Amino acid sequence: MTQTLAKDHQTIRTQAVAAEQAAIGLADFNLWYEDFQALHNVSLSFPKYQVTALIGASGCGKSTLLRSINRMNDLVPTVRVSGGVHYEGVDLYDPTVDPVEVRRRIGMVFQKPNPFPKSIYDNVAFGPRIKGYKGDMDALVEKSLRSAALWDEVKDKLKQSGLSLSGGQQQRLCIARAMATDPDVILMDEPTSALDPIATDRIEQLINEIKDNYTVIIVTHNMQQAGRVSDRTAFMHLGVLVEEGPTDQIFTNPKHQMTERYISGHFG
Amino acid sequence: MSVSRPGKSSSIAQTPAGSITSPQAQARIRRRQQVNRLFAFLTFTPVFLALSLLTVLFFDVLTDSVSWQIVEPRNSGQSFALSQAFGSRAVIRLELLAQGKTSEEIEAFFADAEALRKFKARNRVELMWYTADGPFRWIVSNSRDKRISDIGLFEGWGQRQELLASLKEGQSLYLNPWFDFSFFTKNASRTPIMAGLSSAFFGTLWVIGLVILISLPLGVGGALYLEEYAPDNRWTRLLEVNLRNLAGVPSIVYGILGLSVFVRLLNIGPTVLAAAATLSLLILPVIVMASREAIRAVPTSLRLASYGLGATKWQTVSKVVLPNAVSGIVTGVILAVARAIGETAPLLLVGAAAFVPYSPNSPLSKYTVLPIQIYSWVSENDAEFKHVASAGIIVLLIVLLVLYGFAFVIRRRFRRNW
Ligand SMILES: Nc1ncnc2c1ncn2[C@@H]1O[C@H](COP(=O)(O)OP(=O)(O)OP(=O)(O)O)[C@@H](O)[C@H]1O
Ligand SMILES: [Mg+2]
Repeated sequence: MTQTLAKDHQTIRTQAVAAEQAAIGLADFNLWYEDFQALHNVSLSFPKYQVTALIGASGCGKSTLLRSINRMNDLVPTVRVSGGVHYEGVDLYDPTVDPVEVRRRIGMVFQKPNPFPKSIYDNVAFGPRIKGYKGDMDALVEKSLRSAALWDEVKDKLKQSGLSLSGGQQQRLCIARAMATDPDVILMDEPTSALDPIATDRIEQLINEIKDNYTVIIVTHNMQQAGRVSDRTAFMHLGVLVEEGPTDQIFTNPKHQMTERYISGHFG
Repeated sequence: MSVSRPGKSSSIAQTPAGSITSPQAQARIRRRQQVNRLFAFLTFTPVFLALSLLTVLFFDVLTDSVSWQIVEPRNSGQSFALSQAFGSRAVIRLELLAQGKTSEEIEAFFADAEALRKFKARNRVELMWYTADGPFRWIVSNSRDKRISDIGLFEGWGQRQELLASLKEGQSLYLNPWFDFSFFTKNASRTPIMAGLSSAFFGTLWVIGLVILISLPLGVGGALYLEEYAPDNRWTRLLEVNLRNLAGVPSIVYGILGLSVFVRLLNIGPTVLAAAATLSLLILPVIVMASREAIRAVPTSLRLASYGLGATKWQTVSKVVLPNAVSGIVTGVILAVARAIGETAPLLLVGAAAFVPYSPNSPLSKYTVLPIQIYSWVSENDAEFKHVASAGIIVLLIVLLVLYGFAFVIRRRFRRNW
C-alpha cells in the first residue's frame, strides 16, 4: 500500500450532519488495544433514521468503531479510549452509564449469523426475557419476526431450532432477535458477507424497510451494497476517518484521492 | 481410472508430467499400498489386543462366578421346582415343611420376627442352575452346610455324570451361580455362601452420591471462575499448571491428605463423609479441567450475541455458556466419578473397613465400598471366596458400564452442531 495519510488528517465532510439530526455522534474518539492505536481522532455523526455505511480496507478499524458505539469493546480487557460517543445527549463513556443498558438500546448484528442453539421463539425472546419483559411475549416475538421479514417462513415452526434455518434466514433471525429488545440503533458488521446473493438481497431489502424506525450503521466490503442501502458513507483508512458524506457524493465525486481509489477498487 | 486403461491415457502419459502411468508410477503405487497396509496392521494390533484381553477378562470373571459344589446339607437337602415357589418366603415355607414342621409351627415361625431374622442370618435361598433333581431348582443353603468339593464350571460340566454317581448318602450336587439375587441382599460374612455385597454396594452409592454433591458444584464453579472471571495473569497460569499436575498425583497421596485433614484434624473419623471428601479432592482437578474444556468449547460468537442483546455477565454465563457446556461437563463428571468408584488405595487409608456387615445410613456411618470388598474377598484363604469375588467384579463392571452408558446417552442427547 503506497498511500500515506497524516495522522492529523482533517476529515473531509460533505453536507455535514446537523447536530440535532444526529442519533449518535463520535467526538475526537481514540481507541487503543494495549499500545496499538486503532482509532485516531474520529469525529462522525450518524443521522437518525438513516443508513450509514462504513467502508475501508481490512483492518482499518471499522469493526472497532462499530463496537465502540455499543460498548462491546468493554469486553476486550486491553482497550482504552478517549473522547466521547454521544447518544441522546449522554456520553456513553461517562462512568455513570450502564453498558448493559446501552447494548439494549443499540442492537448489534454480527458478520456470521449466530443464533443460539435454542428454538426460533426462544432466540427472539432471549433479549426481552433477560431484561424482565412482562408483556405479551408471543405478540412481541411475532412483531419482531415480522419486522425482520421472517414471520411467514417460520410461523409454523417456532419451536424448531434456530440452527435449522438457512444462513440467510438465520441472519434475519438475528436481526429479529436484535429488534426484540426494542433498540433505536442497529449496528451491522458485514451482515451479508457469509450469505449468497439472494439472501443478501433479502437483507438489503430489509434494511430499506426498517430504516423508517431505526438508525442503521452498516459495515460492508461490498461497494455496490453500500451504494444500494446507505444514505451516507464514511471511508476509513488505518484508523483515520478520511471522508464522509452523502453516499451519492462519495461514490460519484469523492474529494480525497484515496477514497476514489478505494471505491474504484484500486486497493483494499 | 485411467491407470487401468493405459491405451486411453497415452496422451496424458506423454505430457511433461508423463510419469502418471509409467511403470515407475505403478511401483510407487504398490509401495504406497504396502506401507498403508503395514500401518493399518500396526495400528490395529493394539486395538485387537485390548479387545481380546477384555474378552478374556469378561469370560474369566463370568465363568468363575459359577461353580459345581458337592455339599452335605444341614437342612432337608430337598430342592424345589421353580414353578412351586415364587419369592424367598414361599421357598422357606417349603423347606420348613420338608423338615417336618406342621403348618401351625410354620405360621408361628413367620409371625415371630426375631426367629425369621435369625433364620435368614443362617440360611440363604438360592436358585441353583442345576441339581441332582434337575435344572433350575430352589435350595435353602445353611451356613453350616458341609462343603465337600468345589469344581469349576467347565470341568464339572464334563464330569457331571460321574459326580452324580459318586454322591454319597446325604450329599447333594449343585451348580451354584454365586451372582444371584441374594448376593445383593446379603451383607459381608465369613462364610462364602452367606457373603453378599449389599453393604459394599450401598456404601459405594453413599460415597459416590456425596462425592457428586461435593465435587460437582466445586468443580464447575472453579472451572467457571477460571474461564469466565479470572484475569489472565501469572497467577492463573500457575494455577492452571498446578491443576494439571494435581490430576496426576497418585491417589494414595490423596489418601494421606484425607487421613490427616478429614479423619484426624477435622475429626470426622473413618466415615462415609471422610471418604467422600477425600475422593472429591481426588477427582476435583479432573472435573475442573473437563468443565473448562466444555466451557471453552462454547463459541465466542454466542457470548457476543448474548452481550450484544444486553445480557449481564451472569446472565450470559447462566443462560448461554452453561446450558451449552452441560453435555461436556456431565460427561467429564461421569468419567471422573467412574474413576472414584474404582479407587481403593486412598479409602484404605481413610478407614474403609474390609468387614462391614451393614449398610451405611448416614454420612457419619462406617462403610466399605465395592473395590475394597472385592479386594478382601480375593485375599481370603477359602477358595470359595474366589467365586464371591468374581460375582463382585461383575457387579462393579456393571455399575461402571451403566455410568459409561449414561455418559454416552447424555453426550448424544445434548450434542450441538454449531
Ligand atoms: N481484540 C483486539 N486486540 C488487539 N488488536 C485488535 C483487536 N481487535 C482488532 N484489533 C486490531 O485493530 C485494528 C482494526 O481492527 P478491526 O477489526 O476494527 O478492523 P476492520 O476494519 O473491521 O477489518 P475487517 O474489514 O477485516 O473486519 C486491526 O489492526 C486489528 O489487528
Ligand atoms: Mg471487521
